[in-house]
Amino acid sequence: MNVELTDLTRRFGRTRAVAGVSLAAGPGVFGLLGPNGAGKTSLLRMMATVLPPTSGGMRLLGRDPGAYGPRREIRRRLGYLPQNLGYYPGFTVAEFVEYFALLKDMPAGQVPRAVATAVERVGLGDRARAKLRTLSGGMLRRVGIAQAIVNEPELLLLDEPTAGLDPEQRLQFRALLRDMGQRATVIVSTHLVEDVGAACTEVALMDQGNIVFYGTPAELIGRGEGTGAAGDAPLERGYSAVLAAARSAVAARA
Amino acid sequence: MTATAAAPAKPRTPRAASTVPLTAARLLWVELRHNAVPFILPLIAALMWFDSYRPSVTQPPVWALRTFWNMGQGHTIIDFGPFVAGVAAWMGSREGRRGMTDLITAAARPRWVAQLATWGATAIWAVGAYLVFVGVMFGVYIGQGVQGSPPWWWVAVGAVAVAAFSAAGFAVGAFFPSRFAAPLAAIGSLLVLMMSSQTGFRDKGGWALILPTNSNGNYQAPSGIFYPYLPDLPIARMMLLAGIALAAVGLLGLPDRAGGLGLRRAAAVVTLAGVVMAATAVGLTTTARLGPGGIVIPALHDAANDRQIPATPVCGHTAGTPVCLNPAYRQYLGDVTAALQPVLAEVAGLPGAPARAIQVAGPYNSSEGAFDAPMAISGHPPVLRIPLDTVNLPGTSGFTARPVRFIDFADQLRVLAVHAFVGAGAGPGTTAQQVVQAALMQGAGMPFAAQPQLLGIAGLAPPPPGGPAAGTGREVGPASKTVYAAARRLAALPAAARHTWLAAHLAALRAGHLTLAQLP
Repeated sequence: MNVELTDLTRRFGRTRAVAGVSLAAGPGVFGLLGPNGAGKTSLLRMMATVLPPTSGGMRLLGRDPGAYGPRREIRRRLGYLPQNLGYYPGFTVAEFVEYFALLKDMPAGQVPRAVATAVERVGLGDRARAKLRTLSGGMLRRVGIAQAIVNEPELLLLDEPTAGLDPEQRLQFRALLRDMGQRATVIVSTHLVEDVGAACTEVALMDQGNIVFYGTPAELIGRGEGTGAAGDAPLERGYSAVLAAARSAVAARA
Repeated sequence: MTATAAAPAKPRTPRAASTVPLTAARLLWVELRHNAVPFILPLIAALMWFDSYRPSVTQPPVWALRTFWNMGQGHTIIDFGPFVAGVAAWMGSREGRRGMTDLITAAARPRWVAQLATWGATAIWAVGAYLVFVGVMFGVYIGQGVQGSPPWWWVAVGAVAVAAFSAAGFAVGAFFPSRFAAPLAAIGSLLVLMMSSQTGFRDKGGWALILPTNSNGNYQAPSGIFYPYLPDLPIARMMLLAGIALAAVGLLGLPDRAGGLGLRRAAAVVTLAGVVMAATAVGLTTTARLGPGGIVIPALHDAANDRQIPATPVCGHTAGTPVCLNPAYRQYLGDVTAALQPVLAEVAGLPGAPARAIQVAGPYNSSEGAFDAPMAISGHPPVLRIPLDTVNLPGTSGFTARPVRFIDFADQLRVLAVHAFVGAGAGPGTTAQQVVQAALMQGAGMPFAAQPQLLGIAGLAPPPPGGPAAGTGREVGPASKTVYAAARRLAALPAAARHTWLAAHLAALRAGHLTLAQLP
């Protein structure tokens, strides 16, 4: 298993952002769905080793990120696209991706080729020398994806990767995800359910810090059938039905 | 979420150790290309031109005098420090301002390493620019024929100071990442430098000597000409500034996010080393004492630096007397011989008249610019010893509003030479000495009416009215009407009679045994 989470919890003061999540995942593309504030970003940040869990166990790529040595080894094999991508406006696309290739401890000799490949894969080959300040929001998002995949990660964490991408770019991006998923564990946090349907082999749905569903996209669709749940597409109806069921269960317990 | 397939993590080829420096160098190169320091260099260049260079060229063309304003008083540090600290704070806050902290923390290389690359690029730009700007300024000085030797130790102090300001500013920006970090760091640095200067004006010794813009005891006119620039105080200041830089850089590595435990321990050691280094420097400075060639710190002192710099003097003749100067003052030889001619002619043949005049180094003083060294005549045969660096040399001078005329320069030398001849020492002398001095000055072309002013300019003005100087026990007092009346009587004597009287009484006069009543 590339990802093993056991009763993982993260608190911010009195708020439990992640409330005892247990997961296991190997190679493939996994969708992490959920409404705003469900805890998706906190879960991804913990898996990206930038946010320590309050309690629970976590093994990534067969290692315990609690110790620095293994954590550094995990980070070498990790790709991470945060929800709010920061960037240095004066850097060119290639320089920005190179900067992270170097920080990811890639051998210097391999960096130029890896940078060129990553930039090409996100369709920015012709803008490699453009300053980041000149790029549109969608292009910047693709730069963020390029820096995440430059080291050919074995664990790729993408938080809202398709935000700002146009339909054509989203199609290309889904193809990229499927390709990456052949070799690595790709976890995509999103609230665009069509992305999940098109690219993910498995999906988890979070609400109020808990996993309230996990299964295949087909199983999620099945949850919505005949319930009269809101939604324009079958996946949306499944999403709405699962959330409604989870919330009524919580209300009943209360 | 469950796995569709369980697969073990792929083994990876261990990284060759030789690629690590290459990666670090590449990271530094990327940072050098995107550093903000170059944007403020035109501003610093303009400031340095107006604040460090222009005032310095009003000084005579001697390295120690030309550079005292910009290096000795630390104006180059003041020109660079606040701007560098501000830009470094801007660079240090970049990661936080741009929301890059998560991305950089999630990378394999410790965050501290990324920060060190950014700071390193900032420091390289800032220190490099400082050295280039100073190099250009020194090149201009060389083109102007400046004599002596450059104060390299003080250039090094400035370079380390710039590095320290960059490190401190960067740390401020890294720990308080907002758009206000840069102006706060710049203004804070300016305040620190102003306090450093003000404390230096007040405290002329002890720990305050370590302050980077305290100009007391740094170096004086004979430095680089008669004596080497003593490295004791520069070394202590560099220790302090390097300690501050180390501590600031080390602090960056202390937070959890900076890296692993081993790295954070290393950062703690670096911080501690910086603090110890800075504290040691302050402690060493409290042991400083004034030596003949500058401030001596016993633990850092090398006796080899006390030896005079060997030089073959350049000589001329006037009134049959050789006049020799240090070659660094070669251009003033004609002015000095011309200035001394009337005095040497007036006293020629008298007992104690100088057989030779030589330039000597003025005594080192713990305060900047406080020259209190009169000329002296000593030895057998008698030698007139001229501390030329204690007078305003002809030409432009930072101490006067307009260029010093030859006649002003000559009057200073003549007054001091006559004063030395009558044996009056550092004070105004006895009344009898004042009388003889006034008569000889008149004979050397300085009329009685002008003498009070000339004595004042030369720092030999008599004490204020009110009687003898306290505690001397000698018959001293203001050059009163009585003094000038007696001087007129002596000057009115035929030259031969005056010469004869002086020859008979000079020994008693110099010993302070002659009274007004014993004068002709």
